[in-house]
Amino acid sequence: MGGVLEIRDLHKSFDSHHVIQGFSMDVVEQTLSCLIGPNGAGKTTLMDLISGRLKPSSGSVRFRGDELSGLSESDIARRGVGRKFQVPAVFKELTVRENLEIAFSREVNPFRNMLKFRDKAMLAKLEEVSVLVNLENRLSIVAGLLSHGETQWLEIGMTLMQEPQLLLLDEPIAGMTEAEVDQTAKLLREVRQHSTLIVVEHDMGFVRRVADMVTVMHMGTHFAEGKIDEIEANQNVREIYLGTEEDAA
Amino acid sequence: MNGNIYHDKRAQWVVYIVFFVSLGLIPVMQADPFLLNQLAVFGIYGLLAMSISLCWGTGGILNLGQGIAFGMGAYGMAMTMQMQSQDPEFSPLPSFMSTNGLEQLPWFWEPFWSTGGGIFLALAVPTIFSLIFGALMFQARVSGPFFAIMSLAMLSAFYILVLDMQPYTNGANGISPRMPLEVAGYSLDPYSPAAYWLIFGLLFSLTVLAKLLNQSKFGQIVRALREDPERVRFLGYNVALYETLIYAISAFIAAVAGCCFTILIQYVSPDQFDVVFSITMVIWAAVGGRLSLIGAIIGAFLIQGSESYLGDQFLNSWHLILGFFFVIIVRFLPNGLAGLLEMLLAKRSRSSTEESPPHGRAKSPAAANAEKAGV
Ligand SMILES: Nc1ncnc2c1ncn2[C@@H]1O[C@H](COP(=O)(O)OP(=O)(O)OP(=O)(O)O)[C@@H](O)[C@H]1O
Ligand SMILES: [Mg+2]
Repeated sequence: MGGVLEIRDLHKSFDSHHVIQGFSMDVVEQTLSCLIGPNGAGKTTLMDLISGRLKPSSGSVRFRGDELSGLSESDIARRGVGRKFQVPAVFKELTVRENLEIAFSREVNPFRNMLKFRDKAMLAKLEEVSVLVNLENRLSIVAGLLSHGETQWLEIGMTLMQEPQLLLLDEPIAGMTEAEVDQTAKLLREVRQHSTLIVVEHDMGFVRRVADMVTVMHMGTHFAEGKIDEIEANQNVREIYLGTEEDAA
Repeated sequence: MNGNIYHDKRAQWVVYIVFFVSLGLIPVMQADPFLLNQLAVFGIYGLLAMSISLCWGTGGILNLGQGIAFGMGAYGMAMTMQMQSQDPEFSPLPSFMSTNGLEQLPWFWEPFWSTGGGIFLALAVPTIFSLIFGALMFQARVSGPFFAIMSLAMLSAFYILVLDMQPYTNGANGISPRMPLEVAGYSLDPYSPAAYWLIFGLLFSLTVLAKLLNQSKFGQIVRALREDPERVRFLGYNVALYETLIYAISAFIAAVAGCCFTILIQYVSPDQFDVVFSITMVIWAAVGGRLSLIGAIIGAFLIQGSESYLGDQFLNSWHLILGFFFVIIVRFLPNGLAGLLEMLLAKRSRSSTEESPPHGRAKSPAAANAEKAGV
């Protein structure tokens, strides 16, 4: 069991604003790492850097030994990195079924896709994923009509349809009901059996239930890392969270 | 599942068959050659509207410069037909060229001695041009109104170029080949049922192919990138490539329409590159419904049909009326007449579902209403 993802000395600045400052991290195969940190810590920016939405100012992101920074979003996705966005990004005008079908991207060649009408492998995957994310009865609904929680599930389902080796989930349970959170926790544990996940989440109760490893980010740096108990006992971590709460108050 | 019949694929194909069979029967019942020729021109408008529906409806790429491909196709065919009436030995030069002081046939006219070569170029040049222009734009992630403006600017550039290159294009006078197109010894009379069937045969087969394209995985991906290209990128697809291809396929159809135009009219001028004409194509698609290929075709028929009958009475105010109509449609029927039909049929299927008791995790009526199966 080696490292799937190696992030080394990553920097990103917008103009003079240094958002990621020398961040390094290793992610081990078939684990679920939770990434926590106060608002504005740079969690989403880090995901943008891994998935190619942003280019790092310096530093490296290696996925199974290959350098990712510099590749296009679609190339990175092709290599097996799936992404769920903080603000759910589904195709609202299309049906749930179509959303999932499109996400099945084993074939990306446009000419071959012009001749593709029925795809058995895709249908099998669709059946499996739609049950996993609890949408098997909602397939013919337009995605724009789904509830908040269902939309989150749909997007998780889309990333699963991609058959990724590494999943980046940015705040997957935002807006979910208790029951939905329970199911999502179960779902993520199940997905972990076959792939590696990095989950950004604020809800510590949820983190406790799903995380193998917790990484704390603060002002763009790797602030702390460990098992959930260690992190919760860590005085410095408490301080940065309290700090932001005092700021907010 | 009791969905809207509008989205029933089988019902859609039935509509297509009925529509095209009745169009194909017209020459059997109507023998007036002038009317037939006029109706065949409508087939060309249908092709153009359908090409816009593919690019703008499916792909969300608002193209105000479809006249580029149309004009190139029309000029290519005019050059082919012009060279058919030239003689390599006695009169190798079209008369307008000698009037404009040319002594030799320009190199890019040479391939048009061959009918097959000429028609090939008439279709290939605009398609390849669109592949290059599209690749440059979409790779740089130019989209939406910015792309529309770029396409419009490019069209204006072509208009001026064709107008200015008088010795090569005969400028504003245009090219008017003396004889109808001759293919394999057969002269295609533009007023004959054969010409009509050629146009509608092309309209039929290209529309069916476009519909199949829409129903394929390719079409699905293009519809998705219309809504959110960024998301499609993160699924692993090369968005620029898909956009370039749908744009070039649409341009190819417009080039076919351009070729047909010259066959029917036996005349081509910079007017084919006119900005107003290209915008009119977009209006056809908008009124008929840009998301529906057949809707766009019917939009073209309706607008051009009313123009031929009402345009004479209203003369200059016709464009004003058209513009007013366009604004109304865009404001109240964003998916055009096809969208209206979809809504009406949804209402019908809703009232029939309300009677049957819901089972399981049934859809709400509103959900059933908005249910969409795509094209
Ligand atoms: N495109 C941008 N240009 C300038 N600054 C940006 C940009 N994107 C993010 N930032 C800044 O970078 C910092 C980190 O933002 P980021 O969205 O990564 O935080 P986060 O940890 O995901 O926060 P949250 O928990 O609120 O989602 C913020 O201060 C934000 O204002
Ligand atoms: Mg964030």
